[in-house]
Amino acid sequence: MRLGIGGPVGSGKSSLIAELCSELSDTIRIGVVTNDIYTTEDAQFLRATGVLDAERIVAVQTGCCPHTAIRDDITTNLEAVEQLEHDEGPLDLVLVESGGDNLTAVFSPALADVQIFVIDVAGGDDIPRKGGPGIARADLLVINKTDLAPFVGSDVARMQSDAAQRRGDRPVLALSLTTAPRAAPVAAWIEAQLDAFAAAGGRLHSSVSGAPDDHHGHAHTH
Amino acid sequence: MSAVAMLLADSRFPAGGYAHSLGLEQAVSDGLGVGGVPAFIDARLRLVARADASLSVAARRAAAAGDADDLAELDDEHGARCPSPVLREIARRLGAQLLRSAATAWPSPLIDGYRAASTTTPRPIALGVVGAAAGLDDREVATVALYDDAATVASAALKLLGLDPADSARWVAELAPQIDAAARAIGADERRIGEHEPPAAVGLELAASVHAQRRERFFAS
Repeated sequence: MRLGIGGPVGSGKSSLIAELCSELSDTIRIGVVTNDIYTTEDAQFLRATGVLDAERIVAVQTGCCPHTAIRDDITTNLEAVEQLEHDEGPLDLVLVESGGDNLTAVFSPALADVQIFVIDVAGGDDIPRKGGPGIARADLLVINKTDLAPFVGSDVARMQSDAAQRRGDRPVLALSLTTAPRAAPVAAWIEAQLDAFAAAGGRLHSSVSGAPDDHHGHAHTH
Repeated sequence: MSAVAMLLADSRFPAGGYAHSLGLEQAVSDGLGVGGVPAFIDARLRLVARADASLSVAARRAAAAGDADDLAELDDEHGARCPSPVLREIARRLGAQLLRSAATAWPSPLIDGYRAASTTTPRPIALGVVGAAAGLDDREVATVALYDDAATVASAALKLLGLDPADSARWVAELAPQIDAAARAIGADERRIGEHEPPAAVGLELAASVHAQRRERFFAS
C-alpha cells in the first residue's frame, strides 16, 4: 500500500514518519520516499533516526515543484517507489512524504492509495476553517503539536470542530509527538487501512479520487 | 506541427522534465550568470541535444519499421555516446517516465514492446518510440527533442536565477529559427547513427558527477 503524507512546511511530517516507522516496523516492511525541496535533509533525518535501514529511504528532487511531483506529474515518484519496491521488496507499506507545500497540495490517487494531511497548531488555528483539498478530503487529517497550543494561543477544540465541518465523516486526529500516546492512533489507523487494502485485493478508493474541491466559505452538512 | 506533437512537447505532459535543469544548476553554481544562459542552451543544442535528436529520429524510424534489434542497438549507441554513468542513469529514468505516461496516452504495442525489451530506456530512444506510436514524422520528433531541451533549461533558469519569465521565453524564441533549421536537417538526414559525428560535451559530463554529489540542490540533474 502506498501512503502519501502531505502538509505545510514544518508541520511535522518527517517526525510523524519517524514515529510511525518505529511503531510499525517490527510488524510490517516499510519504505520511504521523501520529496525534499532543496536538500536531502528529510531523508538524512529519517536515516539518522535509525528506525529503518538506510536503503529503505530514498530522496527525489522536485525542481522547486513539490505539488507537481505528487499531483500533476507523478512519474518521478512512481519510478522511485517502484525502484524501492524492486530493490527492497516486497514492502507492505511505502510512505511518500511530500515536500512541504501549501494547502492546495494533495496526492494524485494514481500515486497514493490513501493520504494523510498534517497541519499543526502553531501554523494558526484558522487553517482548518480555511480548508482546501488537503484539509477537506485527505483520508486522515492530523493536527500535530497539540502540546504547543497553550503557548501559541491556538484552540485545538475549535480546530477539530472546524475540520469536522469541512470533512464530514472523515477522521481527524489531534496529537502531540512528544507526549503519549504520540503517533499510536495514526499507526492504528494505518493498520486498519492496510487491512482494508488487503481485503479489497490491493485497491482502496481514496476520498480524494475524482472529488471536486470544496470551495464553500460556510459550514455545510453532508 | 501537429497538435499531438505539441502535447508531447508541452511541459504539462507528465514526463518528469520539471525536475531537471540539464546541467544548468551546476553551471550556475560554478559561476554562470543570467547573461550566459542563452549560450549554455545554444551549446546544448549544437552538441548533446542535436545528437539526442538524431537518436530520437533513428528510433522513430526503427520503431515504425517494427525493428526491435535496431532499437536495442540504438540503446547501446546512446550509451556509447554518454560516458557519464550519472547522465546515463538520468536518461534511463527520464525515458522510463516518458514511456510510462505515453503508454497510457497512446496505447500501442510499439511502446509496450520497447518497455518490455529495453533495460536502459534512454530518453532519446524512448522519445523516438513514443513519436512513432503517436504518429509524429521525423521532423516533428527532432523539433520536440530540440525544443524540449532548450525549454527545460530556460524553465530551470527561472528557479535558479532571479529573472523575468518573459526574458527566458525570449531566449527560446530567439533560438527557434535555429531549432527549426536543425530539426529540418536531422529529419532529412538518411545516414545511420554510426555515421554521425559523436557529440563532445565533456564539461557537462564531468559536471554531472559533481552535481549528483551535492547536498543541496533543487534539480535531479
